[in-house]
Amino acid sequence: MKLFWFETYKIFSRWRTYISFGFIALIVIMTEVVMKLSANEILYRMMRSFQKDFLIFGNVLNGWFITAFIMNSLHIHIPFFITLVAGDIVSSEATSGTVRLLLIRPPSRSKIITAKYLTTLFYTTGLVIFLGLICIIPGLLLFGNGDLIMNYQTKFRIVLIPEAEVPLRMLLAFTAAVWSMTVVASLAFLFSTLAENSIGPIIGTMAVVIVFLVLGNFPFDFFRLLSPYLFTTYMVFWQRFFDDPIPWREIARSAILLGLHNIGLFLIAFIVFNRKDIKS
Amino acid sequence: MKKVLFLAGLLLLLSTERIQAQEDASRYLDPIEKKYSGLKDYIVDVNVHFDIEALKAPDLQAKLYYKAPDKMKVESKRIFFFPQEGGFFNPSLFKKKNFDVRLVERLVYDDRKAVRLKLTPMDTDAFNKGLVLTIDTDRSLIREIKISPSEGREVKATMDYGRFGNFELPARIDLELDIPSDEPSGMKEFTQFGQKAKRISGKVEITYSNYRINVGLSDEIFKETESRKPK
Repeated sequence: MKLFWFETYKIFSRWRTYISFGFIALIVIMTEVVMKLSANEILYRMMRSFQKDFLIFGNVLNGWFITAFIMNSLHIHIPFFITLVAGDIVSSEATSGTVRLLLIRPPSRSKIITAKYLTTLFYTTGLVIFLGLICIIPGLLLFGNGDLIMNYQTKFRIVLIPEAEVPLRMLLAFTAAVWSMTVVASLAFLFSTLAENSIGPIIGTMAVVIVFLVLGNFPFDFFRLLSPYLFTTYMVFWQRFFDDPIPWREIARSAILLGLHNIGLFLIAFIVFNRKDIKS
Repeated sequence: MKKVLFLAGLLLLLSTERIQAQEDASRYLDPIEKKYSGLKDYIVDVNVHFDIEALKAPDLQAKLYYKAPDKMKVESKRIFFFPQEGGFFNPSLFKKKNFDVRLVERLVYDDRKAVRLKLTPMDTDAFNKGLVLTIDTDRSLIREIKISPSEGREVKATMDYGRFGNFELPARIDLELDIPSDEPSGMKEFTQFGQKAKRISGKVEITYSNYRINVGLSDEIFKETESRKPK
C-alpha cells in the first residue's frame, strides 16, 4: 500500500499528469459554451430525421444530454490522455536511470510492478471521474435537468430515458467507461514495461487503439468478422446503459472480455518486469 | 355529323355526372363541418404510447390546447414527442372548400354505414398531397384518416370517440406510421454500401381524457409554442 501511495505521489508530482486534466477541462468547457450558443443547430442536426414527422417539446438540450454527447465524442480521445501517464510509468524509470536504484531496494519486483499498475488504474479512474464531473456539473448548471435523449445514428434509433433514471444510468455508464479505459491503460502499461523510453509506449498504444477502431468500423464482411476479436469493439459498452431495455447480457460479456484483457496484459507485464535484465 | 353530336352529348352527360358525383362526395363533409361548428377550443390531457423501433420512449403525458381553426399547443414538463400528422383532432382541417373531394367507396364500418372519400388539396403546395377519409355517415364522424402515399409516406389514423359535453371527440387515436427518414438528398433510396433507406415504422396510441371545451382560450397562449419547439 505504501508503494502504491508512493507511486501515486510520483505521478501526481509530474506536471505532464495534469496535461490530461487541463485539456479535458478546456475541451469540455469549450464544447459546453459552443453548444449553449448553437443549441438550435445541434438540435436540428440531431433530430432532423424525426422533426418532419414529430413535434418535439421540452428541454432536449439539457445537462445529461450534453454529458452523453461529450462522452460519445471523447471516448476515442481519452485513451491518448491515459497513455501519457500509463505509457510512462515504468519506462520513465529506465529513461531517468532510476530503475536500478528502484530494484535494489527491499520491495520485490512483483510488489513494485503491482503498485505501479494499481497507480495506473487509479489515475485512469480519476481521469474518467474528472471527465464525468466536469461534464455533469457545468452541464446541469448551464443547460438544466431533464429527460435524456440518446440518438443512435448508426442504428437509426432514438431512446428517451426518463429524468429519474438518468443519474443511475449515468453512474453505471461512467463505471463502464472507467472499466473500458483500464484496458487502454493496461496496454500502455505493458508497452511501458517493454520499452526504455516513454514515446514508444504512448505512440504504440495509440496506434493499436486507432488501428483496431478503424478495422472494427469498416463496413466490410471481413472486418465485421474480425471485430469480435478486437478489444475496441467492447470499449463502447458504456453506451448500452442508455439503451432500452438495457442489454445486461451484452454488457456482462463486454465487461468480462475487457477484464480478461486487463488480466492478460498485466500478467505479461508482470512476467516481463520480473525477468527484466537491468545489469546491461 | 350525328356521330359527332352523339359523342358530344355523351361527353356532356359524363362530365355532368362527374361534377354531380363530386358534389355528392363533398356533401359528406357538410354534417361534420356543421357538427363541430360550435367547437371553438378545447384543452385535453394526452397520453402517448409509442410502439416504434426507431423511437424508444416511455409513455409520455402532456396537456394539449386547441383553438379553431388551426392553433395548437402542447404543454409538458418533460420532453414530449407528438406526431405532426393525425395526432390530434382538428375538424377545421376538412373544410370542403379546401379540397377536391371524390367518393372512393361506400362501406360498412363498425356495423355502420360509411363512405370513403379522397380529398386532394386545392393548394398544390400543401404539405399533404392528399387524404383518404372514412366517414361514419350515421354519426357524422371521421373514423379513419389515411394520408395518401406521397414521397413514400403512409400515415393512417384510426379514431374512437367519446361524448364530452355537447361534442363527440376522440378518446383514442391509433396511428400507423411508415415514413422515410429525412436524410440528405441522394441518400434516400440507398445509403452507404447498398443499405436500404431508413424508415420510421410502427404504431402510436394516443389517448385523450379530461376534455375542457370552449373555455375561451386566448391567442396569447399559443404564441410561446413556437419558441419552445426545437427548430
